[in-house]
Amino acid sequence: MNALVISDLRRVYRAHTGVIKRKVKEVVAVDGISFEVGEGELFGMLGPNGAGKTTTVKMLTTLLIPTGGRASVLGYDIVKDESKVREHIGFIFGGERGLYWRLSGYDNLRYFASLYRVDPAVSKTRIPYLLDLVGLSGRGDEKVEGYSRGMKQRLHVARTLLHNPDVLFLDEPTIGLDPVGARELRQVVRNLQAENKTILLTTHYMFEADALCDRIAVIDKGKIVALDTPAGLKKHVQDLSVIEIEVFGLRSEALEKIRTESYVDTVSLENRDQRQALMIHSPRGAEAVPDIMAQLDGHRVGRVSVREPTLEDAYIRLVGGTHE
Amino acid sequence: MRKFVFNLRLFFESARLSYIALFRWLRPGTYAASKIIMPLADIMFFTFIGIYANGVEAAPFYVIGNAMHLAAINGIYGVTMSVGGDRWEGTLPYLFGVPGSRLFTFLGRAFFHLLDGSLNVIIGLLLGWLIWQLDFSQANLLLLGAAIATATIATCGMGLALGALGLVTVNIMFINNLFFFLLLIFAGANVPIEQFPNWMQTISQFIPLTRSIAAARLIINGAHLADVQSMLLVELLIGAAYALLGFIIFRTFEYQARLRGTLEAI
Repeated sequence: MNALVISDLRRVYRAHTGVIKRKVKEVVAVDGISFEVGEGELFGMLGPNGAGKTTTVKMLTTLLIPTGGRASVLGYDIVKDESKVREHIGFIFGGERGLYWRLSGYDNLRYFASLYRVDPAVSKTRIPYLLDLVGLSGRGDEKVEGYSRGMKQRLHVARTLLHNPDVLFLDEPTIGLDPVGARELRQVVRNLQAENKTILLTTHYMFEADALCDRIAVIDKGKIVALDTPAGLKKHVQDLSVIEIEVFGLRSEALEKIRTESYVDTVSLENRDQRQALMIHSPRGAEAVPDIMAQLDGHRVGRVSVREPTLEDAYIRLVGGTHE
Repeated sequence: MRKFVFNLRLFFESARLSYIALFRWLRPGTYAASKIIMPLADIMFFTFIGIYANGVEAAPFYVIGNAMHLAAINGIYGVTMSVGGDRWEGTLPYLFGVPGSRLFTFLGRAFFHLLDGSLNVIIGLLLGWLIWQLDFSQANLLLLGAAIATATIATCGMGLALGALGLVTVNIMFINNLFFFLLLIFAGANVPIEQFPNWMQTISQFIPLTRSIAAARLIINGAHLADVQSMLLVELLIGAAYALLGFIIFRTFEYQARLRGTLEAI
């Protein structure tokens, strides 16, 4: 049985502008997406900012009513059976907020345990277990306002596991964490996967999705542009090589010229202080380098490298390399 | 039955933890000072003005009126912050994403403010006894306790309504201040209601404290249960009506936020 069944799910936001002549502007955040997630599967959603990932999670966690389509969690409709859905899910939205900062970590968990109707006898043993699971044992009596960002994120994970939910929604859980904190949190996610939890994870980080997810949906402008295993997604770019060129003060006309070359599949540009990292996907691989360098004539160029594509390259190809 | 027990637990956890979340930053000394100095300043200000205007024999009128009005500190400010605070803490999505009873969560936010608000009034009356020798010799103290409880329940009911409004508007402190002083004026703490123009008297009939202040004055002057029971009952109903209104606003906000995607909009 599938834990999640999403069928043609759609969400349109309506924004009003103007005071006297009020205009309604519609923004399509999720545009008819469909997918299924099996029980015990760790399913990833990748996409740029504003792609519709968080909106999808909000709908599946009953916090937002869809404007079209249907979705069910463990067979319960997210609109009609919202209470049943809430009993079986846990969720986290990235960031520090969402905890009572003036309460201790322990009291936060205690309060949410009562909100999730956890038996007091169970919560007495479960709260220390969860604090230990997320590496906060010994810190549970401290006020949350004194916690680091990573500790708050881990407390969120403990909070969402209080009622031992079958399905977890983790919306960018490692956002803003330092590398060590992010790695610890990823280990917690792996442990949950080992407990056969169904997990829907959204993230910006390709390596995170690559390392954790069984399958990944790449979402852009509210639509799913690809859905496959990490290995399957990489096949989208196996015919390409990635040429990375460090360049200083790249002019836009040069960039546009490279973009239109027949041997160039996608181009993306990342600003890094004074320099820019130009990334070009090309089927010609190293052979294309002299032609590209000719286009960059007059620019100061640093390191040049050619490598095999990764999941990130597949992602860039799928979303068009337009998100810089 | 099991569900009811869970809901009862939720009520008390919601009560205890929302209260701690609000006041834990205060050190015991600061908290105690706020319990003495603020009521003292409030009562002294209005009582001395009253004595200056009407003579020292008018002191009990002002002491009782302003001591009862102290219930509004918790009823209005405390409850509003406990209900509306979830918006500022960013906990609303997590609160709305759980299966727990909304009604018990909502009402629980007011519970400790009932006790704390009653304590405010008692301290205010004791200060009146210490400074202006407020005479309790004729008073049925149990009945006076009932009047105090009624005043705090009714103001907490209004606080629940304002707190729910705090989920919708960013100007909740302005609204709190407005209602705190409206109660001070319209409930008859410092001016006999009979001296108000008709339109003000009409407003006085629909707000908390009007009847409990009047009842407290009567009880301290020796009135019995039969003299004040209808006043206290009507005030309880007014408090319940405000609490119900608050819960309706709360649930409407939750539904509209899910419908329009405004749960985290501040």
